[in-house]
Amino acid sequence: MTSLLTLIVVLPLAGFLVNGTLGNRLGNRFVTVVGCGLPIASFLLAIRCTIDLLAGGSEPLLETAYTWATIGERTFEVAFYFDRLAAVMTLIVTGVGSLIHVYSTGYMKEDKSYARFFAYLNLFLFFMLLLVLGRSLFVLFVGWEGVGLASYLLIGFWFDDPEKARAGKKAFVTNRIGDAGFLLGLFLCYWGLGTLDMDHINAAFASPTPPAVSASLIGILLFIGATGKSAQIPLHVWLPDAMAGPTPVSALIHAATMVTAGVYLVARLSGLYAVAPEASQVIVVIGAATAFFAATIALAQNDIKKVLAYSTVSQLGFMFVALGVGAYGVGIFHVYTHAFFKACLFLGAGSVIHALGGEQDIRKMGGLAKKIPITFVTFLVATAAIAGIPPLAGFWSKDEILWFAFGSSRGGSPLLWAVMAATALMTAFYMFRLLWLTFFGAPRMDKEVEHHVHESPRSMTFVLIALAVFSAIGGYFDVPHFLSALPALPEPRAAAEGLEMPLLWISIAIALAGLGGAALFFGRNAARAIRVAPRLAPLRSLLAGKYFIDELYDRLLARPLFFISDRLFLRFGDRVLLDGTLDGLARLAQRTAGALGRVQTGNVHLYALFVAGGIVVALLWSFGHG
Amino acid sequence: MDKLSALLLLSLALFALGLLGVIVRRNLLVMLMCMELMLNGVNLSLVTFAQQTGTAAGAVLVFLIFVVAAAEIAIAIPIVLLLVRQKRTLDAAAFSDLKG
Amino acid sequence: MMESLLENLDTLLIYVFALSALVGAALMLVLRHPMQVAMALISTMVFLGGIYGLLGVHFIAAFQVLIYVSAVMVFMVYVIMLLDVRDPSFTRRFSGFLVPGIVAGVLLAGTLVYALAHGLFAVATVTVSFGLQQFSAAFLNEYWLQFELTSVLLVAAVVAAIAVIKGPRRRGG
Repeated sequence: MTSLLTLIVVLPLAGFLVNGTLGNRLGNRFVTVVGCGLPIASFLLAIRCTIDLLAGGSEPLLETAYTWATIGERTFEVAFYFDRLAAVMTLIVTGVGSLIHVYSTGYMKEDKSYARFFAYLNLFLFFMLLLVLGRSLFVLFVGWEGVGLASYLLIGFWFDDPEKARAGKKAFVTNRIGDAGFLLGLFLCYWGLGTLDMDHINAAFASPTPPAVSASLIGILLFIGATGKSAQIPLHVWLPDAMAGPTPVSALIHAATMVTAGVYLVARLSGLYAVAPEASQVIVVIGAATAFFAATIALAQNDIKKVLAYSTVSQLGFMFVALGVGAYGVGIFHVYTHAFFKACLFLGAGSVIHALGGEQDIRKMGGLAKKIPITFVTFLVATAAIAGIPPLAGFWSKDEILWFAFGSSRGGSPLLWAVMAATALMTAFYMFRLLWLTFFGAPRMDKEVEHHVHESPRSMTFVLIALAVFSAIGGYFDVPHFLSALPALPEPRAAAEGLEMPLLWISIAIALAGLGGAALFFGRNAARAIRVAPRLAPLRSLLAGKYFIDELYDRLLARPLFFISDRLFLRFGDRVLLDGTLDGLARLAQRTAGALGRVQTGNVHLYALFVAGGIVVALLWSFGHG
Repeated sequence: MDKLSALLLLSLALFALGLLGVIVRRNLLVMLMCMELMLNGVNLSLVTFAQQTGTAAGAVLVFLIFVVAAAEIAIAIPIVLLLVRQKRTLDAAAFSDLKG
Repeated sequence: MMESLLENLDTLLIYVFALSALVGAALMLVLRHPMQVAMALISTMVFLGGIYGLLGVHFIAAFQVLIYVSAVMVFMVYVIMLLDVRDPSFTRRFSGFLVPGIVAGVLLAGTLVYALAHGLFAVATVTVSFGLQQFSAAFLNEYWLQFELTSVLLVAAVVAAIAVIKGPRRRGG
C-alpha cells in the first residue's frame, strides 16, 4: 500500500526504458503491449489509491520515495502527496493518457519510429505524474522541466523536417523563459519559509502569523512560470507552432495534460494565492486578455489543428480567470472537462487528417459527415461541449466560471464577465465554423483524396467514442465540491446576489447564438461568409497573422540579440580581441626572433669578438662578486 | 717583480694575443696557429701555478692539454682542407653560409 | 760568486726567453706570409720550452718540443706548403674587425693585468720543482681515469681523421 504512489509514477518510466532500448528490436506488438499496458496499470492503481483516500476520511496519502540530499539539517526528499486534488489530476492524466496511447496505436501504425514514439509518450507520462504527485516544489519542478523536455522531443518527433524541429525548439526555449520566473519564486519561497513542501507552504500562509516574505511576489513569480507552461500572454507563442507534432501528441500534451500544469500549480498553492490579492489580479488580467485575444485569432485560422490550438489557449485563459477570482475548484473543474472534449476534438481532427491522407486545411474539406460518421458524431458532441451547450460537460464548467467572474467577492465584476461572455460567444462561433467547414457542404477536396476517404480503425474510433461520452456526462460529477479541501469557493458580491439563474440563461443563449451564427454564415457552403469576406479583409489579415506577435518578438528580441552576439561578441570580442591578442603575441615573438637573428652573420671573426667581449664581462663580474 | 709574476704576465699576454689574432687575421691557417698560441699561454700559466703547490695536478693537466691540442690539430687541418676544397680560398670571410 | 751568477743567470735567461716569446707572438699577428707566421710560432714555442726547462720541469719541456714543435707545427708547415697562399687573405691580412678587436684585446689584457696587480691571483715565491717520477706515479695512480680517457680521445681522433678524409669519397664512389 505504501509504495503504490511510487509505483504509479515509476511504471511509465519503466515503459520508457524498455521501449526506448528494446522496442526497435522486439517489434510493434511488444511496444504496444508495454507502451499501453503500463499507463493503464497506472490508471488502475490511481483508482485504487483514490478509493483508499476516500475510505480514509480524505486524509492525504504520503509517501517518501527517496532522500535526495541532506545538507546540514535540511533534507531534500522525493515525496509523493495524494489528496483529492492530486486524485482528480492523476485520474485525468492516467485515464485520458491511456486512451490517447490506445489511439496512437492506430494513428502511428505506419510510422517507422513507432517504438520511439511510445517511449517518449511514456516518458512524458512519467514526468507529468511526478509533477502532479510531487509533494515539494522541487519534485514538481523536476516534473515541470521533464514534461518540457518530453514536449520538445514529441513536437519535433519528425525531426527530419527543419520546420518541425524548429517548432520543438521554440516550445522548449519559451518554456525556459517562464521557468526563470518559476525558479526565482522557488528560491524566494525557500528563503522565506525554509521548506518547499507545498502542504506546508499552504499551511504557513493560512496560519494567523504568515511568514515575512511577500506572498504576492512569490505568486507572481510562480505565475510567470505558469505563463510559459500554460501558454498565456506573453509566452503563448509556442503552442500554435507545436501543432507540428503528431496529433496524439497535440491531444495529450497540448490539450489535456501538460498545459494544465500551470493551472494545477496555482490551484495547488491556493493557500498562498488566497492571501495574495495582487498576484490574483495579475492572473485574472492575463487570463482574460489571453482568452479574448486567442479567441479572436481562432476566428481567422484555416488549419484545423491551429483553430484547436488557439482554442486551447483561450480555454486556459478561462481556467486562470477562475483561479484569479478565488474559485480554485472551478478552475480544476474546467481542466477536467476540457481534458475530455479537447482531447476528443484533437483526436477527431487526427481522424479527419488520417481519413484525408494528411490534409489539414479546412478550406479543402467538406461533406465528410456521411463519409466518416463516427468521427463526425464524436466531433459534434465535443464541439457542443466546448461551446457550452447544456447538458454537456463544457456547459457546467464554463457557466460556473462565468458566474464567478461576475459575482466573486474576490475580483468578480461585470466588466470581467462581459469580456468572458464575449469570448464564450466567439468560442461557440469559431468551433461551429470549424464543424461546418469540415463536415458539411459540398466536398472541396481533390477527387483523388475524396475517393480514398475512409473511417479510422477501431483503435481510434473506440477512443473517440469514449471521450465523447465523457464530454457528455462528465459534468455531472461535482468536482468543485469534491475539492472542498481547497479554500472554499468565494462568496458572491453583494450586488451579485440572486443573479445566478439569469446569468445561467444568458450563458445558454450565448452558446446557441454562437451555433446559430456559425450556421448562418457557414451553412450552405459558406455562402454568406464568402459574400461578407471582402469587407472584413484587413481585420481578417490581422487575426490570421496572430496580431504579428511572433514578428514583434523577432524584431524586438531575437534580432538585437543576434546582432550583439554576432557583431559584439563574435566579430569584435572573439576575432579581434582574443584571436588578435594571440596572433599578436605570436607575431611579436616572430619579429623579435627575426631581429635577434641578425646577430648571426656567419662571420667567424664577429663570433670571436663576442667571445673576447664575453670573457671580459665575465671576469669583471667575477671580480665584483669575489 | 719576481720571475713568477713575470711569467704570469707573459701567459696573459700570450692568451690575449692569441685571441686577438683569431679576431683580426683572415687566413684560416693563421687563425689556427693563433689558437695554438692561446693554448700555449694557458700551459705556461698552469706550469707556473703547478710550481707553487706540491701536487702533480698541474703537470697532469698540462700533459692532457698537449694531447688534446695534438688531437685537435689532427682534425682541424683536414677540416680546413675540406673547406678549401669547397670554396677554393683560405679567406675566413668567404665562409658565411650559416648566417641568419 | 759563480752560484750567485748562475742563479741570476737563471732568472735573467727566464726574462730573456719570456721577452723573446712575447716578440714572437706579436710578430705572428703582423706577418703576412703564413709560413713566416709559422716560424714565429715555432720560435715562441721553443722559447717556452726553454722557460719550462729553466723552471726545472724538464719532462714538460721535452713534451713541449716533442709534441708541439715537432708534431703539430711540422704538420702545420706541411699544410701551408701544400696550399696556395696567393688568395685574398694574403693581400688583405686583417678582417673587418681590426679596431674592435684591438679594443677588446686591450680590455682583456688590462682586466687580467689589473687582477694580477691587485693580488687576485695568489702568487707565492716558493718554487717546487718535481720530477718525472713524481709525475708518472701521480698520473698512473690518482689520475688513471684521465690517462685512459686520453687514449680513448686519441683513438677517436684517429677515426675521425680517417672519416673526414675518406668519407665523401666512399659515398661518391
